[in-house]
Amino acid sequence: MKRVLVVAGALLLSVGAVMAQQDVVKKDQDVMKATGRALGGVLSPMFKGEKPYDQAAVDGAIKTLEDTAKNLPTMFPASTKGLKADGDYSASPKIWEDKAGFDAKIADFAKAVSDAKAKIKDADTLKANFPGIGKACGGCHETYRVKNS
Amino acid sequence: MLKRLFLLAVLAAIAGLGIFWWLTIPAVVGASSLPIYTPNLANGLTAFNAGGCSSCHAVPNQPDRLKLGGGLPIPSPFGTFNVPNISSDPNDGIGRWSEADFVTAMLKGTSPSGFHYFPAFPYASYEHAKVEDIRDLFAYLKTLAPVAGKARDHDVPFPFNIRRNVGVWKFLFTDGKPFTPDASKSAQWNRGAYLVNSLGHCAECHSPRNFLGGIIDAQRFAGGPNPEGEGWVPNITQKRMSDWSAKDFAYFLESGMTPEGDTAGGSMARVIRNTSQLSPEDRTAMAEYLKSLPPVEGPPRPKKPEKS
Repeated sequence: MKRVLVVAGALLLSVGAVMAQQDVVKKDQDVMKATGRALGGVLSPMFKGEKPYDQAAVDGAIKTLEDTAKNLPTMFPASTKGLKADGDYSASPKIWEDKAGFDAKIADFAKAVSDAKAKIKDADTLKANFPGIGKACGGCHETYRVKNS
Repeated sequence: MLKRLFLLAVLAAIAGLGIFWWLTIPAVVGASSLPIYTPNLANGLTAFNAGGCSSCHAVPNQPDRLKLGGGLPIPSPFGTFNVPNISSDPNDGIGRWSEADFVTAMLKGTSPSGFHYFPAFPYASYEHAKVEDIRDLFAYLKTLAPVAGKARDHDVPFPFNIRRNVGVWKFLFTDGKPFTPDASKSAQWNRGAYLVNSLGHCAECHSPRNFLGGIIDAQRFAGGPNPEGEGWVPNITQKRMSDWSAKDFAYFLESGMTPEGDTAGGSMARVIRNTSQLSPEDRTAMAEYLKSLPPVEGPPRPKKPEKS
């Protein structure tokens, strides 16, 4: 009887652990979506000249990007390896197989964001410094994000 | 009676083989058919960027996109293709090729030694390019540094490894015609149509293919299963892209960023690294053409498996 309880308990725990990991994946997606909104909703339209330059909005967007940069190093714990996310994309196993490469990519992103924060003051400096952020996003997505089947 | 039937069968087989042989003779562009020409290196660079050569031919996992030593493995339903060295190295690359060899490869998909290339090399699109653009590209490639080292052989199992059979594929899926502009459209639209359909070879990934690996013409640009593995290559006709403006397309080709703030990943990230080097005019032209693609329903995407 005791053994049954232990086994059942262990099973429950591991089910709980998997559910918790799935929550981590969900949270990762939320971070990425917020990042996308800061880029596609705020910075890109100003970069393209579709919206006028607005320092307060830029500050808010960059704050979001800084949060992302801060979160990235801990967003992909080894326990989430192999978990599929809902939607079009999942994290590639390469994140954990080539940790050094991944760390270099997220460091690129953090650098692009801090550069942007230091330099973007008006429409012209936005034009000069915004593309670096997109490049850092794409540089990581190229290898470390995969399509879902 | 039986003997006669047998003879007839043998004759039919010989005739069949003859037709197969004739049909699959690799086509060649002769040096004598190329008029005297002074190549334009700047246009060669444009052709290089539009053609996305470095997306596949650059040495993988290093930052220099002009190091064209090849080696990238491209998985497919027919086996794995290993991208060859097209640097100016005389032994491992194309340093000893004549200009006619290069034009033949790009426009006919035939190697200097006279065998068919596999259509993983997108000559079904490149064949629509202008000869001058190809000659400029050859001149430009010659200016790049030689890279030593050959890629490993393709890992393609029987029967796809019989190169002669590729001749049948070419008969079915290539037309050998240069791009013809549409006089009813603007010069900018035609420039875009040219870049997208010839050098840009967008349809090669963004179209579904039949069981022989030929593009299904009616669903050109309508996306389909990712030939390189998991997932789906998006439909880029107005069926899915109607909320993108022409400006959005141009901006995506420049930055890799979608209007939603997502960025291209996977092999599209490599494509953007090339299109970002094109002139804004060329990107705007491609965008105008892409925005004009009529909505086409792609193949049905399989339902996601139910989550447990």
